Amino acid sequence: MNEQDLINFENEIVSEYEKGCTYGPIHLSGGNEQRLLEVFKDIKPEDWVFSNHRSHYHAYLKMGKETPMKQIIEGHSSHINCKEHKFFTSSIVGGCIPIALGTAMGIKRKGEKNKVYCFIGDHASEMGIFWECVKYAENFDLPIIYIVEDNQIGSNIKTLDVWNKRTKLNSPKVIYYDYIFTKPHYGCGKFIHFKRKKRGFKSMGGMYS
Amino acid sequence: MNNLFYQQELVRSMKLLENEPRVLFIGQNLLNAGCPMYNSLLKVERSRILEMPIIEDTQMGMSIGLSLEGCIPVTCYPRIDFMMCAINQLVNHLDKVEGMSRGEFKQGVIIRTQIGNKKPLNPGLQHCGDYTIGLKKLLKNTKVIKLNKSEQIYPSYFEALSRAKNGKSTLLIERGSGVWKI
Repeated sequence: MNEQDLINFENEIVSEYEKGCTYGPIHLSGGNEQRLLEVFKDIKPEDWVFSNHRSHYHAYLKMGKETPMKQIIEGHSSHINCKEHKFFTSSIVGGCIPIALGTAMGIKRKGEKNKVYCFIGDHASEMGIFWECVKYAENFDLPIIYIVEDNQIGSNIKTLDVWNKRTKLNSPKVIYYDYIFTKPHYGCGKFIHFKRKKRGFKSMGGMYS
Repeated sequence: MNNLFYQQELVRSMKLLENEPRVLFIGQNLLNAGCPMYNSLLKVERSRILEMPIIEDTQMGMSIGLSLEGCIPVTCYPRIDFMMCAINQLVNHLDKVEGMSRGEFKQGVIIRTQIGNKKPLNPGLQHCGDYTIGLKKLLKNTKVIKLNKSEQIYPSYFEALSRAKNGKSTLLIERGSGVWKI
């Protein structure tokens, strides 16, 4: 798999989304292809991956194209989940941070060797729950790595503007990488006419960003 | 006598839970005296208890995570007031995980909490709340059981364990008044 495969995956989703047949918003990934390919070199099939509302690339890299594509088209872009592939997401910012921690605790208690990888954004990395979970993971040497994907923005808010200062944790349990995000917060940047006849809606939904 | 029976039933119920090898008790003051729940766990094997720092929301999230790895967490909050700090993981995650994963994940967690005593000493507004009605409205998939009577305790924990084995969560709210001597 290479960068272009990831970009093509997102383009295919946009193409389906533009048809107006999906029933949920999409949160596209973009700009971090190379960095993610590097991170996923270490992630094995038996490892857990926890992600967030923007999980298309993580899902594709963890379980291949078919499962995430199906779920996204069905309207679950923000909630791609798969037990078989040990892939779990939450769309509440920071929501997966303690869940991933507990999973790592479960692995350690069973004496198994697999690991947990939890992807969060830079806004989530400033939350208190992230700090306490990293501290706990480090103090008990749990098999978990938090990857902070730092695009300096949360929703449409610049992280530095609202925190006034950025703080990065120096921990063996945390990896930070910076990237420039190339997509809108949600949607695909165009006005879409949604065809919701199947659900009985007559009004035209619209999503623009 | 009634309070003593209530106490005995809680102890018996914790032994019932302990008999399930996948059960792990987690919470604050479970290995160290300081809350009534400590007494109810005195007969439970120490290795089956995970003493936690005071990080309520993280504890609830960790309970979900532990269940992903096959554990049945009995996550304990000494006061229902304290459990309110875990509402995000309880309402937005545990209660919705099956729905938001379209049935991929079914996590059975047993949540144990208590309503604080008002007698002989009133601990104040932040330690004796009763949010049972509100929680029943908030939680759509997590069964909420208020344990008013001693006779309810054992059957309710039995039911909670059965539900947990089937990927369903249960919140059990114990009463506090005059039940324990610490």
